[in-house]
Amino acid sequence: MTLLTGIKAVVLADHLVDFGGSMLARLGAEVILASAAPVTEARAKAWHKGMIRSDAPLVELLDGADILLDDRRSDPRAGVDAVAARHERLIHVIATAFPGAHRPMTDLTLMAQSGLMHVTGTPDRPPLRLPGEQAYALTGIQAATAALMGLRARRLTGRGQRIALSALQSAALANYREAVMYEHTGRIGTRRGNMLVRGKSGVRQIWPCADGYVTWSMIDNPGMMRALVRVMQAEGAAGELAAIDWDAILVADTDQDIIDRWQGVVAAFFVQHDRKTLADWSLDHGWGLSPVIRLSEVRDTPQMKARGVFDADGVPGPLFAVHKRRGS
Amino acid sequence: MGALDGLKVADFSWVGAGPRSTKDLADNGAEVVKVESSRRLDLGRRSPPFAGGDRRNHDASVFFAQTNTSKKSVTINLSDPRGVEVAKRLVAWADVVVENFGPGYMDRIGLGWETLQDIRPGIILASVSVAGRTGPMAGFRGYGNSAAAWSGHCDMTGWPGSEPHMPPLAYGDVVAPMMLTVAILSALEHRDQTGHGVHVDVSQIEAMVHVAGDLFAAMPGDKPANGDPEMHPHGVFPCKDGQWIAIACETDAQRTALATVVGSPLEDHTADWDIGALEAALVAASIPAAAVLDGKGLSEHPALNAAGHFVAVDHPMIGTAKMPAPPYAFSDTPCHVGASPCLGADNAQVFAEIGLTEAEVATLMAAGALA
Repeated sequence: MTLLTGIKAVVLADHLVDFGGSMLARLGAEVILASAAPVTEARAKAWHKGMIRSDAPLVELLDGADILLDDRRSDPRAGVDAVAARHERLIHVIATAFPGAHRPMTDLTLMAQSGLMHVTGTPDRPPLRLPGEQAYALTGIQAATAALMGLRARRLTGRGQRIALSALQSAALANYREAVMYEHTGRIGTRRGNMLVRGKSGVRQIWPCADGYVTWSMIDNPGMMRALVRVMQAEGAAGELAAIDWDAILVADTDQDIIDRWQGVVAAFFVQHDRKTLADWSLDHGWGLSPVIRLSEVRDTPQMKARGVFDADGVPGPLFAVHKRRGS
Repeated sequence: MGALDGLKVADFSWVGAGPRSTKDLADNGAEVVKVESSRRLDLGRRSPPFAGGDRRNHDASVFFAQTNTSKKSVTINLSDPRGVEVAKRLVAWADVVVENFGPGYMDRIGLGWETLQDIRPGIILASVSVAGRTGPMAGFRGYGNSAAAWSGHCDMTGWPGSEPHMPPLAYGDVVAPMMLTVAILSALEHRDQTGHGVHVDVSQIEAMVHVAGDLFAAMPGDKPANGDPEMHPHGVFPCKDGQWIAIACETDAQRTALATVVGSPLEDHTADWDIGALEAALVAASIPAAAVLDGKGLSEHPALNAAGHFVAVDHPMIGTAKMPAPPYAFSDTPCHVGASPCLGADNAQVFAEIGLTEAEVATLMAAGALA
């Protein structure tokens, strides 16, 4: 990907901006990783991908640089501000964990403060985080965004500027529902496992099948329900579902014991078939079902291969697809 | 002046995956015109919560308001060829077109990538979809859970040995628009350097794959849950009154300090603490620790509110409500979070700007083409 050819960035990494620097590199910028807090080999493979390591002095690296991603999760590197201030056109993105103040934070504690852990998991177990290092990844994307906006602004003003970015805000911004629901309804979300609750009843989201799991929910979509039941009938598995007028009922207003009985019929059908069969039926008939792909299988799915998402190193490469203009 | 002053965006996207990206642009000064229709209402306008509980009022959704700050709204009926002609005028005005329609819709109504280039050379088309616009799943129609299922997130969420677990939100609708913003901004940089526009094609599945890049590199055999390969202790521990605290030690110094403050074993001792007191004691000892917050805690978070993360915005239907601001602050080109638009609020101004006379607008409105 060459959208940022000609752009030069320097990165001082301590988890918050690592992925942001890598994103700029994957977009075609020349990105120098001038220093980085220690990470595992696997994390370096993912988050430092495409960056070029250098031990040269910062004062030297910033010569001709457009962007400095300056990670201050811990303490600022000595003298960075003074060196950066010499470069009027430099876009200096300063990332901290907490906005405007130092506080020891990691990905886990940032996720705890985002409100997302409180609603992830099951009611009988502790709050759970999303897999991987999501707070760091979200902050990294925002670091790349801020840098690119700084480039755009520089075209207007002719000057670089300082941009303060906080990881706490980046993580909190991902939680688009919990704060607003509390403010406007007084309701506080809870951990519900794989149950999707709408109205007076809850429906399943995860179903075992012959070779793993699929995700599907019995929601108020009569066309989708009819499409599913048609195939179940053809397979001799529809049971009492065949007699239901889906236009005349609201799943969200149906008693839980009835929902559970209906779901039992669906469960018995799904478990007889493998993920591919169910996914193919879903695509043909519009069920809204997806197979749950194991992490180890994702790279080899036909869609990932067709789009060239993973590089030979097993780590995702291009951030998105780019289709050029005619004739170019 | 905002960082993106002067940038013009024709925004055909709806619900979450497109609008969250164009919010990024609008809050930073871009003129974003949201193309809507009362004939095909943005489902975001029907999404709770609603101000005053008024779910029938299409301007009362706070979900919509948060997702569409600082934008303008016009109503164009794209199922009417005369509406499409007006949309083409908007394309001619724009630097960027954003869409997240179902597969092939833009082509079917005559606004495909080839046509857009004819209308406006150098234009950038930004698409976001579940699986991307190419490949065997290009025609895939999915919903919030689909990207989690196809990307490995669902497989990796949950406790070790448990069944796959759905994230409690449409996380693809969070990370894909962030990737879309990066795609648009980098495409603008490319256009400014070369004069050429491009079609950037963002997939929710791929965006979720990217933010799990470390997992693909490590390929763990089971769900990591709250564990970490480097840090220990690293988890969530009980406090008084059903509260939980997250603690993550990176260094021996932190582990020593933790044992001094709390004692060992950790689970037995944290349960005796008030959450606020324990958090303060651990932070004072330079140990990464934080209370697990719920929606109330997030809304009232002192540091977030002090930082301007939530901005009080006046909306003609909703009243004064808190809207999320970008997580970054520019020293010279600050962002400005304005109210989301009521449906069609900017018809007169925008249609005049793209060259329609008042008489033409009145005729097209009466015919249902601008509705």
